[in-house]
Amino acid sequence: MKTALFIPCYVDALCPEVGVASWKLLRHLGVDVEYPEKQTCCGQPMAVAGFEAKAKPLAMTFEEKFRGYDYVVAPSVSCAAFVREHYQHLLPPGHECEAAGRTMDIVTFLHDILKIDKPLGKFPYRVSLHNSCHGVRVLGLSSPSEQNIKPFNKMADLLSLVEGIEVVEPERKDECCGFGGMFTIEESAVSKRMGTDKLTRHIQTGAQYITGPDASCLMHLKRIAHGMGADIQFKHIVEILAAGL
Amino acid sequence: MSTREDILTRIRSSIKERYDMPALDDIDPINWEDPLQKFISTLESTGGRAVDAGQEDVNTVIRGLFPEAGSIASNLEEITIANINPDTVTDVRQMDGLDVGIVRGEVGVAENACVWVPQTMKEKAVCFICEHLVILLRRDNIVSNMHEAYRRISFSDYGFGTFISGPSKTADIAQVLVMGAQAARSVTVVIE
Amino acid sequence: MKQLHKDKAREFLRNKDYARWHDETFWSVRSKRDAMASSLPEWETLREKASAIKRHTLTHLDEYLEQFTANAEKNGAIVHWAADAAEFNDIVLGILHEHGVHKLVKSKSMLTEECEMNPFLESKGIEVVETDLGERIIQLKGQKPSHIVMPAIHLNHDDVGELFEEKGISNRKGDHDPTYLTQQARISLRGEFLSADAGMTGANFAVASTGDVVVCTNEGNADMATSCPKLHIVAMGLEKIVPDYDSLAVFHRLLARCGTGQCSTTYTSHFRTARPGASPMHIILVDNGRSSWIGNPDHWESLKCIRCGACMNTCPVYRRSGGYSYSYFIPGPIGINLGMLRDPREHAGNVSACTQCMSCQTACPVKVDLGEQIYRWRQELGNIGKANPFKLALSDGMSLVFGHPGLYKAVTAPFRPFHTVFKHLEK
Repeated sequence: MKTALFIPCYVDALCPEVGVASWKLLRHLGVDVEYPEKQTCCGQPMAVAGFEAKAKPLAMTFEEKFRGYDYVVAPSVSCAAFVREHYQHLLPPGHECEAAGRTMDIVTFLHDILKIDKPLGKFPYRVSLHNSCHGVRVLGLSSPSEQNIKPFNKMADLLSLVEGIEVVEPERKDECCGFGGMFTIEESAVSKRMGTDKLTRHIQTGAQYITGPDASCLMHLKRIAHGMGADIQFKHIVEILAAGL
Repeated sequence: MSTREDILTRIRSSIKERYDMPALDDIDPINWEDPLQKFISTLESTGGRAVDAGQEDVNTVIRGLFPEAGSIASNLEEITIANINPDTVTDVRQMDGLDVGIVRGEVGVAENACVWVPQTMKEKAVCFICEHLVILLRRDNIVSNMHEAYRRISFSDYGFGTFISGPSKTADIAQVLVMGAQAARSVTVVIE
Repeated sequence: MKQLHKDKAREFLRNKDYARWHDETFWSVRSKRDAMASSLPEWETLREKASAIKRHTLTHLDEYLEQFTANAEKNGAIVHWAADAAEFNDIVLGILHEHGVHKLVKSKSMLTEECEMNPFLESKGIEVVETDLGERIIQLKGQKPSHIVMPAIHLNHDDVGELFEEKGISNRKGDHDPTYLTQQARISLRGEFLSADAGMTGANFAVASTGDVVVCTNEGNADMATSCPKLHIVAMGLEKIVPDYDSLAVFHRLLARCGTGQCSTTYTSHFRTARPGASPMHIILVDNGRSSWIGNPDHWESLKCIRCGACMNTCPVYRRSGGYSYSYFIPGPIGINLGMLRDPREHAGNVSACTQCMSCQTACPVKVDLGEQIYRWRQELGNIGKANPFKLALSDGMSLVFGHPGLYKAVTAPFRPFHTVFKHLEK
């Protein structure tokens, strides 16, 4: 099972520790993982901003770079969702969407493909789970609060393998944090209001940490927490799953 | 070309692919073992109330519920306490300020407390203009859900019918729920 | 472009207390909807069926419109077809003139807002009285609805109390209790119902197999408006057609549950023909763009909308920016999309009002792909010269950097990125 690690641009540049944790975790689990060099970006930021054409060459590069792997795994739900949902129509007609079809976020990979169930490390803290929108409503990491389906949460399932952790969810458990890519720049007032509301609800759980499957949401909340002087810390879910390994 | 033909032509040229009608007989809707009990509790949640007439005469029951009522309108044969007949009023305005209107419901729906009231009187205003509406409903005419209800309702030649679920209400001022917005302030379903 | 959502939203958020109240109010409506959804095991099946029925109906709309018309005419109604807002307004005016109508009472209709019917009729000397309490309040206030189901949600009880005092509807000065104010409005509107010459309603549904026009209200105002005056005019968009009662049952079960969190609206009235002694019922079928929109491969599914308002109640951006931040008369996710169908240049300023959280389309009872459509509209902004220049420049910069791994490496080097850290990890 040949697996490639896809480290999206912003994780690479701004949260390298998430890449490190992903690598360590996958190696710890015995995955035959490679990190193909010269990765950059999947094209999501430009496409969501309305400039899909600028994402096309990146989609082509992605296809070439990640061809031949059984799985392409990314520690970011929004990037994985973008590749899975949009590459089909971004690539030229007739072009096979091979790598894109094998791309998934790391939570899905651990939960559905590796089906891990052995104890991991230790993280003795109360952690508030941030259910990122693309994880919930595009990739199906948890049951959306809008729907009447059997409740599930793959992130909570994985975190239950960590010793000493207490996982809680904020009120309005899957309401958006207001990041939204360039939304946070263009609609900065609403974005900040949403982030502040979301952060407040996380803090109200009494958690010491906020965790989630997407570093972009966490970065947005972190910036707001910094501005408010809030005493809460942030860890991507892979950092917690890899803690102490 | 007429506007009608123009619109229909434009629709035909716009349609790219015609989708099939889905099957609807596999919905498996919710059912209650005791639809009457569910109907009563749902009606209460809408602000209405149900009264079981049992063996008692409905006129006695209704009079007991509205002892002060001066004007009572109905065209139902079994109602003897009415002093206004919606079949014979010459102007709807004569019913303004009407205390009680009494009508017959054909089908009650447990899931939402709707009662199907077909127009069987000349002036349907009696259903809405009264302060208090009384709907007579036979206990064996209560179904679980709207799928069943829509298979059972019928119209008279008057060509109007309405599902009524509790009293007229609004929350348009500051989201505060107020009963008696424009039509009946209270709805009582008398179960026979 | 009339206005940019982002600017109006910033203004809206300045009043922090009000913004919080607005968010919490709509969240509570959404929570009531969620409770309804979870009370029905068949909920997701209903949504799937509702979506499929709408897809079927819209792609057979020519057939269903003809069937509906034939049945409505058989019932004794007079059916009119209007290509656009102007023709609609003219037809209404023609009917009113023919019957010597001076005063028209009407129940809530987003279509008459769309066609700006009220100001047109008023300019022709017709008195138009809105009878839905929320609509009446904003009519007296000279405003437009800020929500499609709760049109006066932006006003509090003091605003309404002062308005009613000014208009002579309430006389206990300073009594702004919502119950009192509602009762005063009831008295005032009762007089309007009884003195009007004609009543107009919209239509929530029109049933092809029977010719029924179906109108749902909580106040019973549509029923008062059609029980008192001797003329009933129905204004409906083409997309309101449903095939039959079996289909209608599906929509009925979803509409109020999604809209207000009720099991049903208080009244679901079926109109087939005029009451005895009244003039024949008139039904006006309004196109105003719809027949062309069906042909838009990326956006035709917006026509599935049943106007419940669930998408705006759940939208985190709508809740924190209010209805007036959007340039189209319908706000929120469905309004963004319908506004773009109507006039993309005019309403492009709303397209930013979305984080792509997809809550709207997950809540939508007929599964309109609202968030995905907004994504697609964003792709078209460049073609119509409405792209945000800053976002464009940023995207240009990003594609330059990301398209050249060497440049990317140089730009990210100061951050100690993963791709350099990785080299040490491997050892």
